[in-house]
Amino acid sequence: MPAALLFSRLMLRPLRREPARTALTLLAIALGVAVVLAIDLAGDAAAGSFRSSVETLAGDADFEVSAPGGLPSSAAASLATLPYALNLHPRIEDSAEIVQTGHVVPLIGVDMVADASANESGAPQDLGNLSTSPQVWIGRDFPHPASGTLDLRINDRIVTLAIRGRLKGSTGEAAVIDLALADRLLHRDGALDRILIRIPKGESNLDAWEHRLRAALPPGVTLERGGARTRENRKMLQAFRWNLRVLSYIALLVGAFLIYNTISVSVVRRRAEVGILRALGAGRPAIAAAFLAESAAFGLAGSLLGILLGRLLALGAVKLVASTVESLYVSSTPAPIALTLPAALAALVLGTAVSVLSGLAPAIEASTVPPTEAMARGRVDYQSRVHKTRDLVLAALLSLAALIASRIPPVEGKPLFGYLAALLLVAAGSLAIPFLVASLADLTGVPLRRLLGVEAMLAGRGLAASLRRTSVLTAALAVAVAMMAAVGIMVGSFRETVSLWMENQLKADLYLRPAGPESADRHPVMAASVPDRIEQLPEVLAVNRFRAYAISYGGLPATLASTDTALEHRFGRVKFLGAANREAIFHQLPLGNFAVVSEPFANKHHVEAGSTLTLSLGGHSVPLRILGVYYDYASERGYILLDRHVLLRYLPDPAPSNVAVYLKPGVPLDEGRAAVERAIASHSVLVIANRSLRDEAMRIFDRTFAITYALEAVAILVAVMGMAGALLALIIDRRRELGLLRFLGSSAAQIRRLILFEAGLLGLLANAIGLALGVLLSLILIYVINKQSFGWTIQFHWPVAVLLGSLTTVFLAAVLSGLYPARVAMRLNPIEVVHEE
Amino acid sequence: MLPQPASLAEPSQYAETVALLRLESVSKHYATDGARVDALRDVTLSFSPGEFVSLAGPSGCGKSTLLNLAGAMDFPSSGTVSIDGVSTTALNDAALTRLRRNKTGFIFQSFQLLQNLSVVENVELPLLLAGAPHPRERALERLEWVELSGLADRFPHQLSGGQMQRAAIARALVNDPRILLADEPTGNLDTATGAVILTLLRRIVDEHGTLLLMATHSTEAAAASDRIVRLRDGRVERIETRAAV
Repeated sequence: MPAALLFSRLMLRPLRREPARTALTLLAIALGVAVVLAIDLAGDAAAGSFRSSVETLAGDADFEVSAPGGLPSSAAASLATLPYALNLHPRIEDSAEIVQTGHVVPLIGVDMVADASANESGAPQDLGNLSTSPQVWIGRDFPHPASGTLDLRINDRIVTLAIRGRLKGSTGEAAVIDLALADRLLHRDGALDRILIRIPKGESNLDAWEHRLRAALPPGVTLERGGARTRENRKMLQAFRWNLRVLSYIALLVGAFLIYNTISVSVVRRRAEVGILRALGAGRPAIAAAFLAESAAFGLAGSLLGILLGRLLALGAVKLVASTVESLYVSSTPAPIALTLPAALAALVLGTAVSVLSGLAPAIEASTVPPTEAMARGRVDYQSRVHKTRDLVLAALLSLAALIASRIPPVEGKPLFGYLAALLLVAAGSLAIPFLVASLADLTGVPLRRLLGVEAMLAGRGLAASLRRTSVLTAALAVAVAMMAAVGIMVGSFRETVSLWMENQLKADLYLRPAGPESADRHPVMAASVPDRIEQLPEVLAVNRFRAYAISYGGLPATLASTDTALEHRFGRVKFLGAANREAIFHQLPLGNFAVVSEPFANKHHVEAGSTLTLSLGGHSVPLRILGVYYDYASERGYILLDRHVLLRYLPDPAPSNVAVYLKPGVPLDEGRAAVERAIASHSVLVIANRSLRDEAMRIFDRTFAITYALEAVAILVAVMGMAGALLALIIDRRRELGLLRFLGSSAAQIRRLILFEAGLLGLLANAIGLALGVLLSLILIYVINKQSFGWTIQFHWPVAVLLGSLTTVFLAAVLSGLYPARVAMRLNPIEVVHEE
Repeated sequence: MLPQPASLAEPSQYAETVALLRLESVSKHYATDGARVDALRDVTLSFSPGEFVSLAGPSGCGKSTLLNLAGAMDFPSSGTVSIDGVSTTALNDAALTRLRRNKTGFIFQSFQLLQNLSVVENVELPLLLAGAPHPRERALERLEWVELSGLADRFPHQLSGGQMQRAAIARALVNDPRILLADEPTGNLDTATGAVILTLLRRIVDEHGTLLLMATHSTEAAAASDRIVRLRDGRVERIETRAAV
C-alpha cells in the first residue's frame, strides 16, 4: 500500500515530533465527542426510566382507557358487558415514598385475582388473603429486600405492608397491591386510573376495534392505543433533549476550530515539502487527500478516545439530566447507561466527519501550492492570506441572515431556525474576528508598550502578524465564551424572572403538601380535613386549596388544576399576558366552564384567550373557554387552571394537593406555623414557610441548570486546551524570532512574559468578542429558542456576578494555558534556532 | 554616499594593548545524535578594542561557534572566555543577559529583522528590552548614522537587502556595544552592496573603537579587516595580519 506508506511517512511521522501538541488536539476532539455521546447516553438512560415505570405491568396492551381525575365505574361496566373475549386489566396508578429511604416508587393497584388466573403481568399465583392483610408485591428493581414489611408514605399517611415477593418481567421499581387495597388506601371510591385492553388473539384490525370500543364507552373517557403515555412523555421530553443535544455540540464545534487550526499549521509548515512532492509528480487531489486523511486520522483517533471518555462522562451526566427531568417533567430514576454499538458508531462517524470537514479548507489550500515552492531558495515565511475586509462584509451578511432566521416560526415544535440563527451568528462572529484582531492590535500597540512594556507590544504585534492562526484560535475560544455567556445570561435572566414571579405569586405565609419528594407529574393529596382544621385556627386568616391532576391533552402530558379564585384574586398577583383584564377574569372564572391556562400550555397547544378546550371530566365532555393566559414558571408541562368549585362539580374529590395558609396580620410566623403543625399532627404533611419554599424552588432551579453549566465548562476546557496546543505551534513557528530576541538582549524571563502576554491577549480578545457575541446569542436563546421550545417569557437580566466570574476564569485559564508553551519558548536554544536556516 | 573607509595603512587610533575579548584554551564540543562534534579545540585568541578581525575558513570550521562564545550566547566546554576581564562561565543567565545588552551587538547574514516591526521599532528593540531611556531618539540617531532615517517607519519587507543590513547594523549599534559580532554580513548581498556594508563596518570600528569580529567566507570581505584568523577543524590554522592581507 504505497499510499498508506507515504501517508505514514509524510503525514504521521511529523506529528510524532510534536507529541504534546498532537495529544492536545486529540484530547480536544475526544472531549467534544465524549460530551455529545455522554449527553445522548444520559438522555436515553433518563428517558428509559420513565418508560419502565409507566409501562410496569402494562404488557403489550392494545388499548388504554383513561380520564382525568379517574374513570367512572360505568366505563369498566360498559367494557365488561361487551360480547367480545377482551382481556381487561383495570388499574389504579399513583406513587408512594419508601419511608426509610425517601425513594419514590410507582404504586400500582391491579386486580390480583384476575391477573393471577390469567397468569399475566408476572403476578404470582399464591395470593394469600388479600382482603384481611395489606400486602405488596415488589418489582424486579424495587430498592428493598423481598421479605418482611414495607413502610410506604401514600399521600399524607404512612402504611405498613407485608412484602409477599418479587415480581418477574418488566416490573421495574413498582410496588404492586391489589386493586381493592389501592382503592381503600388512595380513597378512590371505585374510580380507576386506567383500563388496559387486550383484544382477542389473532385479531389485527385495530382501527375496527377502536371504533367498537369507543362506541361502547361512556362520554368523557379517553381511548388510546397502548403505550400512549410513554409516547406522550417522550414527545414532551423531545424539546428538552433537543436543546441539551445542541448544547453538547458546542464543545465539538470548538474542537472543529482547533482541527482547522491544526491542519492549517500542518499545511503552512509543509509548504516546501508539498512543493517537492508536487515537483516529484504528486497531483493536486493527492495533496488534498493527504491532508484530509490527516484530519480523518485525528478525528478517528480522537473519537475512539472520546467514546471511552463519553461512557465515563455519562455517569455524571445522567444524574444531572435525570434531576432536570424529575424537576420539570416526569418522575424519573435513571436507568443503567447502555453504550450500544449504534451509539458508539454514530459518535465515531460524527467525530471523524467534523474533523474532515474542518480540515477541508486547509487541505484545498495545500493542493494549490505550486511546485516552484520547492525550488525557492531559503525558507520564506509564508503567511496565509487573510481577507479581513471581505470576511467582515460576509459577517454582516450572515448576521442579516441570522436576523431573518430568528423570525421564522418553529418546525413541528422545534426551533430549527432559531438554531440556524445562532449558528449563523457564530459564523458571522468568527468571520469578523480577523478584522477585529488586526484593528485592536493596531490600536493598542503603543498603549500596550507604555502600560505593560515591550513584551506586551511584541505580543500584540506577534498575534497580529500571524493573523489567520490567531483568528482561528480567538474564534475557538470566543465561541466557547460566547456560548457560556449566552447560556449564562439566559439562565441568569430565567432565574431572575422566576425569582420575581415567585415574589408576586407566593403571597401566603405557609404552604402545605404531603411529605415526600416532589415531581412535576405526581400530585399526592392530603385529607380534605387538613385545610378544614387549619381554617378553624384563630391565627389563620384564610386557606386556599389547590388541587392538581396529571392529565393528557393533545397528545402531551399536562396538569389540570383548581384554586379558590376569590382567594387568588384577593391575595395573589397572577399576571396575564397581553392586555387581559385581571378583574374580569377573576370575576368570571367561578361562574362556569371557564379556565385560564399557563403560558407554556398556550404555546404548546396554540391556544389563547377566547379559545375553547374540551376535557373529559368525570364522565362528561366539558368545553372550557379560556379567559386568559398567565405567566407561570412552575412546570413546563403547562397548566389548565379552573375555579375549585367548578372542578369539584366534575371531579368531586375535595382532597387538596397543596394548601396555602394566610395568617392574620400580627401573628408571628413561628406561632402560626406551630398552631398549624399541632392541628395536623396526625398527617404526614410538610409545612413550609414562604421563604423556605422560594429557597427550595431556587435550589431546584440551580440543580436543573447544572448540566448546562457543566457542558459550557467542557467547551471552555476544550478551547483552552486547544489554545495551549496552538500557542505551542506559534512558538515553534516563531522560534527564530524568539531566539533572535535573546541575541538582542532579552532575558529568558522576558521571553516567558512575552508568551504569557500573548496568551493573556488572546484570552482578553476572546472574552471581549465572546461576550459581545454571547449577548446577541442570548437574545436568540431567550426570545427564539426558549420561547419556541418551552414557551416561557423570560425577562432579560444581566447576571453580572456570573459573567464577571466566568470571564475572569476564562482569562486566567487562557494565561495558564500559556505556561507550558512559555516554558518551551524559554528553553529554545537561540543559537540553534537563529542559525538553522 | 557613505564616507570612505579609513586608510588600511594606518592602525586604528583606538587600538589598545589591553584585551577586550580573550579566549584562553577554549574548546567547545557538541553531541549530535550521540556523536561528539568538536567545534573548537584549544583556541587561544585575544582581541583589542578598535580591531576589525575576520574569522575565515570552510563551513563547519568553528567560525559561528567562536562568535557565539564571544557574544556570551554560549559557554565553552573547557577554557575561558573573558569579556572586559570577566569570564562568561562564572555568570548566571541574568548577568549574561546584562553583558549581551551592554557589551555586544550581533549582525546576521539574513539580517534577522522582525517582520512585524517597523525599521525604527526593530532598531530600538534592544533598548526597550534593556529598559534603557529614550529608545526612540537613540534609534533615530543610529538610523541617521547608517543613513536610513528616511525609511524609519517602513517595514522590513519594504527595504532592499542592503537597506535591511544597514537597519540591522543600526540595531546592533543602538546600545553602543564594545564588541560587534557579524556572521557573514555580506553573504546575502551583491558585491557592490557588500562593499558599502564593509565600508560602514570599518567606519564603526574606526570612529567608535568597537571590536568587530566578522565570520566570512568572502576573500573581499576578509581583505577589509586588520587581522584574519583562519580556522580549520576547530583549530586556529594561522593568523594573518593586515600587512599579510
